[in-house]
Amino acid sequence: MPGLIPAFASVATEPMGLQLLPTDLLFLGALALAAVYGHSAAREPLARARWSRVLHSPGGGIACLVLSVYLAVAVLDSVRVERAEQAPLTVLDLVLTPLRTGMETTYSAPFATHAHARENLEHAPGLWVRDYPRLKFGGRHLALPEETARDLVRRIALGTALGFGVFVVLTLVINQLRGRSLRGAITQWWEPAWRWHWSALGVLCLGITIVGCLADGWHVLGTDKVGQDVLYLSLKSVRTGLVLAVLASLITLPIALVLGVLAGYRGGWVDDVIQYLYTTLSSIPGVLLIAAAALSLDLFLSREAGALHSLALRADLRLLALCAVLGLTGWTSLCRLLRAETMKLSTIEFVASARALGSPSAALLRRHLLPNLMPLVIITTVLDFSSLVLAEAVLTYIDIGVDPSTESWGNLINGARLELAREPVIWWSLASALGGMFGLVLAANVFADTVRDAFDPRLGPDAKGVQGRA
Amino acid sequence: MLEISNLVLVAQTQGASTRVVDDLSLSLKRGQTTVLVGESGSGKSLTALAVVRLLPPAIRVATGSVRLEGRDLLHLSEREMNSVRGARIGFVFQEPQAALNPVMRIGHQIGEALTRHRGLRGRLLRERVLELLAAVGIPEPQRRFKDYPHQFSGGMKQRVMIAIALAAEPDFLIADEPTTALDVSTQAQILDLLQATQRARGMGMLFITHDLAVAHRMADSLVVMKEGSVVEHDSRDALFSAPVHAYTRHLFAVSPRLTPSALLTPSPVTGEPLLAVRDLNVHFPQRGARWWSRTRSFAAVTDANLEVHAGETVAVVGESGSGKTTLGRTLLRLQPAQSGRVAFLGRDLFALPPESLRRARRELQVVFQDPFASMNPRMTVQQIVEEGLVAQGLLREPGARAAHVGNLLEKVGLDPAWSSRFPHEFSGGQRQRISIARALAVAPRLIVCDEPTSALDVSVQAQILTLLKALQQEQGLAYLFITHNLGVVAQLAHRVLVMHQGRIVESGAAREVLFAPQQDYTRMLLAAVPSLP
Repeated sequence: MPGLIPAFASVATEPMGLQLLPTDLLFLGALALAAVYGHSAAREPLARARWSRVLHSPGGGIACLVLSVYLAVAVLDSVRVERAEQAPLTVLDLVLTPLRTGMETTYSAPFATHAHARENLEHAPGLWVRDYPRLKFGGRHLALPEETARDLVRRIALGTALGFGVFVVLTLVINQLRGRSLRGAITQWWEPAWRWHWSALGVLCLGITIVGCLADGWHVLGTDKVGQDVLYLSLKSVRTGLVLAVLASLITLPIALVLGVLAGYRGGWVDDVIQYLYTTLSSIPGVLLIAAAALSLDLFLSREAGALHSLALRADLRLLALCAVLGLTGWTSLCRLLRAETMKLSTIEFVASARALGSPSAALLRRHLLPNLMPLVIITTVLDFSSLVLAEAVLTYIDIGVDPSTESWGNLINGARLELAREPVIWWSLASALGGMFGLVLAANVFADTVRDAFDPRLGPDAKGVQGRA
Repeated sequence: MLEISNLVLVAQTQGASTRVVDDLSLSLKRGQTTVLVGESGSGKSLTALAVVRLLPPAIRVATGSVRLEGRDLLHLSEREMNSVRGARIGFVFQEPQAALNPVMRIGHQIGEALTRHRGLRGRLLRERVLELLAAVGIPEPQRRFKDYPHQFSGGMKQRVMIAIALAAEPDFLIADEPTTALDVSTQAQILDLLQATQRARGMGMLFITHDLAVAHRMADSLVVMKEGSVVEHDSRDALFSAPVHAYTRHLFAVSPRLTPSALLTPSPVTGEPLLAVRDLNVHFPQRGARWWSRTRSFAAVTDANLEVHAGETVAVVGESGSGKTTLGRTLLRLQPAQSGRVAFLGRDLFALPPESLRRARRELQVVFQDPFASMNPRMTVQQIVEEGLVAQGLLREPGARAAHVGNLLEKVGLDPAWSSRFPHEFSGGQRQRISIARALAVAPRLIVCDEPTSALDVSVQAQILTLLKALQQEQGLAYLFITHNLGVVAQLAHRVLVMHQGRIVESGAAREVLFAPQQDYTRMLLAAVPSLP
C-alpha cells in the first residue's frame, strides 16, 4: 500500500504530540481496567480455566477475534496525534490517509470509475458536454476504464497472496508463543479443537489484505454525498458506536446493580423509593429526555463556544453527553430484573443458612448474591449494549444523537435515507452501516453467551459429572 | 388389558446412551391396582410416561411394545394417540400445582377434557362437570366451578386433577406419586378417593410411589423396581409376607415404621435447658392490595412454649401451614417475633446486640430441607463448609481450615478429596451430608433440622438418620427436628411436639404422644399414617 509510507513519513517529520479528548480518555481507561482484570484473572487458576474455555469454544473464540478487530479499530481511532497548524488526526486517520484524502465531488458507486451523476464537462475548449465525469481517486491509475476488471483481479490476487503471507507468519508466531516447535507448528496446527479459530483468522487476514489492496486505488464501498469514502466513514463509525455503548453501559451498570440489589435485599421503604424512581423514569419517553438533554447541551455549548478550542472537542462533548443521558435513563430495566432476582435469591435456603452462620451482609452480597446475579447482568448488559449501538443510529437519524460532524453509523444511515428513493438507488451507505452494526452486535451476543456458560459451574470447565450416590 | 412387554428406554446424553428402563414386562388388568415401587432413578415414572408417550425428549423407546387391548400404542400416530390419552388412559401427576393452568377456571379445565373426548357443550357439559366435582369430594361444586386453582388447597387441587383424569371415563388410570406433595391426613383422603373410584368404575390403575406403606394400602399386585429393572413382582400379600429379593427386603428394613420397638429410650432430663421458649408469637404482616390499605397480620405461631435439653432430640410435627418451619426460623432469628422470650444457654436471644448475636449463632445451627437450594451452586464444597469458620473468624489460617473441612467431610461420610468440587456433582443424600458438615463446622450445641430427609429416598433417609444419631451420641448435640413424617419421629425423637394452626396442641415423651395421644388432632394425624404390616 504505497500511500501509507508518505503518510507515516509526514508524521515522523512533524513534531509529535498526543491529544486525548474526554471520550478517548474514558474509553481507553475502561479498556485499561479490562486489561487489569485480565492480568489478575490470568494468575487465578479457576478464572483462567473459565476464560480459556471461552476462547476454546468456536463461537467464543471467533467472537473474540471479531471483537478484537473492532476494538483495535476503535483504539487506533481514539489516539490523536497533534500536527503543526492543523487539526489533530487519529492514528487511524493516518493509516487510512489515502482513503481520507481521496475525496470525490459527490456520490459514486463501489468500484466505479465515473461519478454517479452527470455534470457539465469541458471536453475541448468551448465544447461543453453533459456526461459522467471520471473520479479523482477511484480508478485514477487506469488509463482506460475498461481495464477495471483486470485491475480488480490483479489486486485481489495480490491481496490473497499478501493475506496468506500474513496468515502463515501469524500462525508461526502464535505457535511459537504456545511453545510449539517449528515442525510441530506445521504438522499440528490443523487440530480439530482449533480448526474453526484458524479458519476465522485466515478469513479475517484475507479479508483485511484484499480490502486493503483494493482500497488503495478504489472506493470499495463507494462515496457519499460530499464525496467522502464510505469505507473510511464506516471504519470511523466503529469508534463512535463502541465508545457510546461501552461508556453508557459503564454508567448503567453500577446504578442498576446498586439500586436493584439494595431494593431487593433491604425491602421496605428503600424498595418503595427505588421502585418509584424507576417507575417514574421509565414512564417518561426516553426520546423526550434525550431531546431535552441534547437541546440544553447545544445551548450550553454555544454559550461556552469561546472556551472550546475546536469543533472536534465540541462534537466529542456532545457524544459524551449522549453517553451520559443514555446511561442515566437506561438502567431501569436491568434494575427491575435485579430487584426481582435478588428478592428470589434472598429467600433461598443457602442465603438463610449463611445468615444462620453469622455471615455479615457484605459477605452475603459478595459471596452469595452477586455471583448468582452475574448471568442476568451479563445477558442484560449485552442486550442493552446491542440496543445502545442501534439507539445511536436511531437518535442520530432524528437529529438528537451525535454531532453531524462525528462519523457514526447513525449519520451514515441518516445521509442515506433520502437517496434510497433515487434511481439508480444509492444503497452502499446504508449497507455498510448495517453490516458494521450487525458484525458488532452479533459478536457481542455470541461472546456474552459463551461467557455466561463458562462461568456457570454446572456447565463450565469445572463440571465433572455426578460422582456416585450417597 | 394393558400389556407392556420387553420395554427398553434409552437416555441419550452427549453421545453416550444408557438404559434407564431395561426389559420391563408388565400386564395390567381392569379392576386391579398395580403399584410400581422404587427409589428415585428406578425408572418407574418413565415407564408410566412411556405408556402415554409423553417421555422427555432426551429419552426414547429402544424396543418393546405397549398394547392396549391388542393395539400397540407405540405405533399409533400422534393424532390417534391423543384420542387414547385422557379418553382411554387418565393421568394424575405428582404436583397438582404445576399440572393445573393458573389462569383458567377449574370448571373449564375439567370441561376441556369432556369437550375434546365426549363432545359435550353448554348445559350438558356444565352438569357433567358439577357431577365430577361432587364425585371427587369438592364441597359446593356450584360455587367452586368458577374458581381459579390458587383458591384451592393442595389436596383440593389433587381432587380436581383426579376429576380431570376421570372426566372422559377412562379404562385405566395412571397415578404418578399423587400424594407425595400432600400432608398425611390429605394423603389418606386422596388414597381413599382413588381406591373408591377405581373399585366403583372397575378401572385398572397403575399407581406409582416410593412409599411402601402407601403401596401396601393401595395395591392388588406390586412391582418393585431398581435401576430400571423389575426385581420382584407378586401379589401384595405374598410380597409383604415373604419378600424374596434382597433389595425388597432392604427397602422393608429401611422404611420408617411407627412402632414402639423403634423408640429411643428417653434421655435423662437434667439441669438447665439449652433452649427455653416462652410464649412465642410470630405474625406475618400481610400487605393489602394497595399500599395505603391497612396491613393485617397472620398468626403463624401462637403462644409457643418449649424446652430443648443438651443431647436430646425434640421433634416438631404438624401438617403444612401448621407453623413448624416458622417456629424453627424464628428460633434461628431468621424471622422476627412479635412477642415472647427465647433463652439460649441462659442468654435472651431476642435481646442480643448484633455482635453478640453473631457469636451466639455459632452454637445454634440449621440444616434445611431442600438439598438443591441449600447450597450456593457457585461455591466449592470447601467454601461452603468453611463459611461459618470465615464468618465467625475461627481458624484464620487457610491450611488449618482446609484440614478442618477435610475432617468434617470424613465425619459425615464423604471423601475429603471432594472438597474442590461443586454441589451439582453430588446426589441429594451427599448434599445433605455437606449441609450437616457446614453446620458442624462451628461446633454448635443445637441444630434445627427442618425436614432434612423429606426430599430423599428411604434408604438414603435411613443413612442420614443414622448419621444424625451417631453425631448426637458422639458430641452430645441437641436437635430440634421439624418433620411431617411420623415414622421418622419414632426412630429419632426423645420428645415430640404436635403443632396445629400455629399452636402446640400436644407435647410429651415420644412414647406417650405417638402411642397414647391425648388430643383428638394427634389421634387423627396418627390414624392417617399408612402403616406397614
